[in-house]
Amino acid sequence: MLTMNNVSKIYQTNSVQTHALRDFSLTVNEGEFIAVTGPSGSGKTTFLNIAGLLEPFTSGQYTLDGVDIGGLSDNQTADLRNQKIGYIFQGFNLIPDLNLYENVEVPLRYRGIAAKERKIRIEQCLEQVGLASRAKHLPQQLSGGQQQRVAIARALAGKPRFLLADEPTGNLDSLMARQVMELLEEINKNGATIVMVTHDAELARRAPRNIQVVDGQLADFTLYQGKPTLAATRDNETVVASGV
Amino acid sequence: MLDIKPIFNAIRRSKIGAVLLLLQIALTMSIVSNAAFMINDHVSYLRKDTGFPEKEIFSFAVMTFGKDRSLSQQAEVDETMIRNLPGVINATLSQAVPLSGGGSTSTMRLRPSPETSKSVSVAYYNTDEHGLETFGVKLIEGRNFRPEEVIIGDDFNGNGPNTIIVSQPFVEALFPDGNALGQTVYFSNRPLQIIGIVETMKSPWPSSDRDEITALVPFIDAKNYQHIVVRADKNERANIMANIEQNMLDAYDKRVIINVDGLDKTKENYDATDVLMMRMLIVLVVILLLITALGIFGLTQFNISKRTKQIGTRRALGARKSAIVRYFLIENTMVCMAGLFIGGVAAVVLGDVMMKTYSISSLELEFIVGTAIFIFAMSIFAVIFPAMRAANISPSIATRSI
Ligand SMILES: Nc1ncnc2c1ncn2[C@@H]1O[C@H](COP(=O)(O)OP(=O)(O)OP(=O)(O)O)[C@@H](O)[C@H]1O
Ligand SMILES: [Mg+2]
Repeated sequence: MLTMNNVSKIYQTNSVQTHALRDFSLTVNEGEFIAVTGPSGSGKTTFLNIAGLLEPFTSGQYTLDGVDIGGLSDNQTADLRNQKIGYIFQGFNLIPDLNLYENVEVPLRYRGIAAKERKIRIEQCLEQVGLASRAKHLPQQLSGGQQQRVAIARALAGKPRFLLADEPTGNLDSLMARQVMELLEEINKNGATIVMVTHDAELARRAPRNIQVVDGQLADFTLYQGKPTLAATRDNETVVASGV
Repeated sequence: MLDIKPIFNAIRRSKIGAVLLLLQIALTMSIVSNAAFMINDHVSYLRKDTGFPEKEIFSFAVMTFGKDRSLSQQAEVDETMIRNLPGVINATLSQAVPLSGGGSTSTMRLRPSPETSKSVSVAYYNTDEHGLETFGVKLIEGRNFRPEEVIIGDDFNGNGPNTIIVSQPFVEALFPDGNALGQTVYFSNRPLQIIGIVETMKSPWPSSDRDEITALVPFIDAKNYQHIVVRADKNERANIMANIEQNMLDAYDKRVIINVDGLDKTKENYDATDVLMMRMLIVLVVILLLITALGIFGLTQFNISKRTKQIGTRRALGARKSAIVRYFLIENTMVCMAGLFIGGVAAVVLGDVMMKTYSISSLELEFIVGTAIFIFAMSIFAVIFPAMRAANISPSIATRSI
């Protein structure tokens, strides 16, 4: 599904260079559900942005679903984002001037799907996240958890093969967070590949595969089975605490 | 694919900025279309033929204080003297100077009053048989006055003239069927026979609506204050004007010569306040347009900075750059169209009020359409650059900003 080979990302600001990713290599297989953890500033978001074609990388090679990403035009990456990738953001990123229905509709319009087909998909997706009855509401009339579920519905509407989530539960209380996690698990069961960045060790543990980013590199990865690995102990104390 | 409905809904939900801009566009539209119409009206008036070779003609006023001579006889002497000056084509006494803003009008009718008949208000020049050539107007039918037809005196009703030369618009007003030559019109109940028709001969009030219905009346009644109109070779005119006071005083010195002005200068003076007003109107229009363009530019900038995260998110969800630009163009188009429509209606109403209040001609549709197109094009211009910058917002903003 996704292969990164020695991908590096350097941010250049006022003669200060930040190596956000260094020779980052990773393969994600179709149908996987991966939780990405790591200390703040380690490069998790950078990895996710590059994986999701939201920003270019400095060097290395990245292949998504058989397509070499380096050298694609801006329009081509926009179309790839639209067709293959769904995003879930920590801040939900719903468009405040649009009601829930219109929010879910946004990626479908960019894909040029006909109105009738859009309606079917939107209603189905809102149904799936349990908010079909509130289609005409504006985002600010909803709780955080509900907003995130709308955002998930929006990510799902385009039937993406690949779902990226950057701390999707970061702004939610634990009950809401669990609901969102359950939703993601269900989506994963239906076939979508999911990569999720999280600070929540409990949630990370529920993912079949965990990877850790430390200082712009993949620290270690292991199938998490309840016992913290060495790397996990070193970099994420909360994992240890809650794992005991 | 145009996303009209969601954009419209978005505007509806965050209305204040859009409504303010809409009102501004409507106001600009209504004022600019009327102003453009007035300016155009004025420019075409300024360019319009007056019928006079303005650069060949000059006039001056004679104020006589000497009581020892007959004014009419002196006038004949003066005219002859002036006609003999090298470069002079002709000269005439006239109670009114063309295009000067001062003159006489009278009602002329087909039948003497109290009989009711068709009538028309006419601006007339009292001149002699030299008037036609001095004014330089084009005779299209009939003939000039004969010397014996020119009456010198002060009793118009008792011993006045019997002939008249009228302008073509005079004919159209009073004799719509044509055939005016030889007909009689009544001026203060004095019958005058039309012996000649001139093509164009403006009144002393060229900007008024009765500017073209004019006549020459062969009647000389020299007064203490009298105008003389002179036509000369274009290249000699300045020279003759410079010496005319001395020449006149040499002939008889118990008088004062004032207001020696070329006819072009006379018209310029007459139009001066109008021209000033038009210039101010143009400045106003330009300022108004600039403010509106700035308003559109500013609102777009504001919307973009307010929606940075939204734009990044849209890009992340698959919007191409062109889709972002299109979003702002459509948004602008909708606000603009609504503003232009309201402004267009307001323009018609405003034009109507002005027509009734200031008796100007009614606003023509092409000015409303033209102004709307211009404002719309200007708005596109004001939106396109901020929109293009908005399109360059990175999709990574979606994850980077909370
Ligand atoms: N646009 C940018 N310009 C310059 N430096 C940046 C930019 N974005 C990220 N960085 C730097 O890159 C490094 C990695 O940032 P990144 O956001 O990927 O970390 P993260 O692991 O997501 O952190 P957190 O857990 O706090 O979200 C950081 O040092 C950050 O300061
Ligand atoms: Mg991050």
